[in-house]
Amino acid sequence: MNAMLELQNVTKYYGAFKAVDEVSFSLAAGTICGFLGPNGAGKTTTLRMILDIIKPTSGTITVLGRPSALEVRHRIGYLPEEKGLYKKMKTWSVIAYFATLKGLSRKAAKQRAYELLERYGLKDFAIKPTDALSKGMGQKVQMLAAIAHDPEFVILDEPFSGLDPVNQQVMEEIIRDMTSRNRTVLFSTHVMQHAERLCDRIVLMARGKKIFDGTIPEAKRIIPRRVRIETQDDIAPVRGRSDVLSVRPVDKANGAMQTNGAAQWELQLRENADPQSILQFCFEQRIRLHSFNQSEPTLHEVFVQLVGPEAKEAGFR
Amino acid sequence: MKYTALVARREYVENARTKGFWIGLLTFPIVIFLMIQVPVWLTEKVAPIRAFVLVDESGRFEKLIESALEKAHQQRVLEALREYAARNVTRSVRSAGAKRELNLPAELDEINEQNAQALETFINHGGAENVLKQLKPWLKPGAPAFSEPRRRFVRVPLPVGIGGNEDASDGKGLSLVASAATSSSNLDLAVLGRELKPYLRGQKKVEVDGRAVELSAAILIPRDIEQKVVRPGAGSPSAQSRGPAIEYWSANVAEGGAGLKDEAERAVNGEIRRREYLARGMDAAVIREVEHTYAPFASLNPKKEAGQETVNLGDKLKQWAPSGFVYLLWVAIFSVTQMLLGNIIEEKSNRIIEVLLSSVTPGELMMGKLFGIAAVGLTLITAWMLSLFGILSWKAGGVSDVAGQLLAVLKTSNLLPLFSLYFLLGYLLYAGLILSLGSVCNTLKEAQSYMGIITMIMMVPLLTMTYIPTDPNGVVARLLSWVPIYTPFTMMNRAAADPPLIDLIGTLVLLVASTVGVLWMAGKIFRIGILRTGQPPKIVEMLRWVRG
Repeated sequence: MNAMLELQNVTKYYGAFKAVDEVSFSLAAGTICGFLGPNGAGKTTTLRMILDIIKPTSGTITVLGRPSALEVRHRIGYLPEEKGLYKKMKTWSVIAYFATLKGLSRKAAKQRAYELLERYGLKDFAIKPTDALSKGMGQKVQMLAAIAHDPEFVILDEPFSGLDPVNQQVMEEIIRDMTSRNRTVLFSTHVMQHAERLCDRIVLMARGKKIFDGTIPEAKRIIPRRVRIETQDDIAPVRGRSDVLSVRPVDKANGAMQTNGAAQWELQLRENADPQSILQFCFEQRIRLHSFNQSEPTLHEVFVQLVGPEAKEAGFR
Repeated sequence: MKYTALVARREYVENARTKGFWIGLLTFPIVIFLMIQVPVWLTEKVAPIRAFVLVDESGRFEKLIESALEKAHQQRVLEALREYAARNVTRSVRSAGAKRELNLPAELDEINEQNAQALETFINHGGAENVLKQLKPWLKPGAPAFSEPRRRFVRVPLPVGIGGNEDASDGKGLSLVASAATSSSNLDLAVLGRELKPYLRGQKKVEVDGRAVELSAAILIPRDIEQKVVRPGAGSPSAQSRGPAIEYWSANVAEGGAGLKDEAERAVNGEIRRREYLARGMDAAVIREVEHTYAPFASLNPKKEAGQETVNLGDKLKQWAPSGFVYLLWVAIFSVTQMLLGNIIEEKSNRIIEVLLSSVTPGELMMGKLFGIAAVGLTLITAWMLSLFGILSWKAGGVSDVAGQLLAVLKTSNLLPLFSLYFLLGYLLYAGLILSLGSVCNTLKEAQSYMGIITMIMMVPLLTMTYIPTDPNGVVARLLSWVPIYTPFTMMNRAAADPPLIDLIGTLVLLVASTVGVLWMAGKIFRIGILRTGQPPKIVEMLRWVRG
């Protein structure tokens, strides 16, 4: 497996401020990797360093086997965090311009621009100036500009921000289209659902440090499994079990309605605990259950767990 | 290099498509066209007929004034003829020898303000008609017909109902004047003056060739003019005690009407002096000869080659044309660097810059912009120069002498090559400053506050633009020439005055060196500044970037 990207102990200082702290990870070809973290975690800085737009203070970055992304810039696509296009340029011409900067001939670039605009439903805007586009359309156009040269490796900084659900889906579609052709995608986001749906892999950063790197199932294993039960009986016996880490009532205000005096409880289980044995134990203890739910933690919960209070702010995005 | 070219191409195409560019491109030829055409229109068509009345109670000066005006008119006809001949006679007969052979009127070459002889010969030999007859075989094919200049002053009869002119049924205007002057001998000039006032103020109109026009002037000469003549010497009454002899009434003394007054005054006083000579016993023939005696004067320029030192319109144009070019230079550099600033700010403010920098290096991006916008500027000034040549060549053959002369100046001087050179160097120097500025600002508003300072510094050449040609190798001009940011403008301004070689070469070397320096510095600042967000850095910090 050849590495598309390899970071080793990458550190970046802005003056005295340490924006990125000893970050290392690598990315295999053909993977979709989510790059997660709250605001100010150092994601954008890391992405810019990967692209060699800015230089790391220390550490090495290898992209497609080269020490600088600029050497292989034709094989990389980049969508920056802040979205903007040349206002007066025609839509097709913007896409074609960026494609020529990535090495396509002008003829091929024009052809490709029209092809992409048609495929993603923007053909009618091809000869309009980009300031005639809505924000969402503009963002899609920028995405198309980033991938017009069919790069092997695409870096997307917050591709979903500011898009309505329909356009978010289109964006996901574009990303899936790419991975179906064995392209590698590294994208940063705040929205865990996208990461959950798309990613093979996530890298989580906070305060400049990498705090998690692995697959989504691996991430979910970080936080305890949970079981939610509803009963009007005393659940004290459950507390006593060694595989139950904690029992806490579900917040009533949170919308969990009590019926006929029953209360809802959330049980956190030890890592290798079997929920079935809890169910069986309840029967044995004659605890009458109105409901029994075993649920996987969401990536968002993992995120909150790992990042802590900082994640609150990010979670609302 | 390929990417520099791609960036440059986009900059060129996108900026050359803007409305501002086309407005700038087209404004210049329109202004030039109007500058040349409007005076022509004014003299040909729009210039008002200046109508005047002349009442001579003494009956002694009327004919004299009329003939003086006629002479002035004939002089203008002669001048027009000379220009016409110069332009429309085939080249082969222009030499003096050929002219004699052809019996072309010598007065064509000899008239000037004081050579009354030549003018008289011209009039006595049948005027324009005769000259045109002689010229005819030698005219170039397709030469336009000669159009005589219009008379500047037209004498009209006293308006009906004034000064005893009750007879409106006659209809023959001019004869009425004659009768007013001779038969109605007891006209009161004071009353007449009062009655004419509404006409002179423009409240009432007089009729000329069926058109109602304003009466521009009235000349009233009293019967007792002889008693009012002021003579030096004892016993003679002073001018104050007698009051004015001749009244010249006009609402607009400053305008062309003044010419009428001068002509009338010269005619009347000339005649009075002539009579005085006669009264003192001089021979009429002698007086005539004395009057026609003069020493020809010519303005000569020591810098021109021997035999061609005559100062003419071309020389004046040559002196002032550089100022025009300074202005063009300024406008071109200013507008083009504004484009540059706008572009950088656009890319910076919506972060297109990041996409660009993931594709090209900051160096390639900067050079691409520099060259792309330079191409826009060159297109602009090339279009200007071509249209200037076009309009001048078009107009040179016809009515405008200025156009022809200007064209000759442009063709024979080094103004155009210098203009292109100084545009390029000046642009690169200012572009370097603007690139540094643009790269550290995030919004256009932010940039404009700094741009104000640059604009103010740039204003200096505009302020000295008209002063420098009057003293092109003086201290101010030389001093400014050695300040690199002013070198292009000041040296352009001095271009026609043959500045010392040390100035020409020295300032050029200094300018090139500082341009290279500024661009090198701009490269350093651009690389770091372009990715910066937030407050623009302090100068000290920028200096650190340059050093680091």
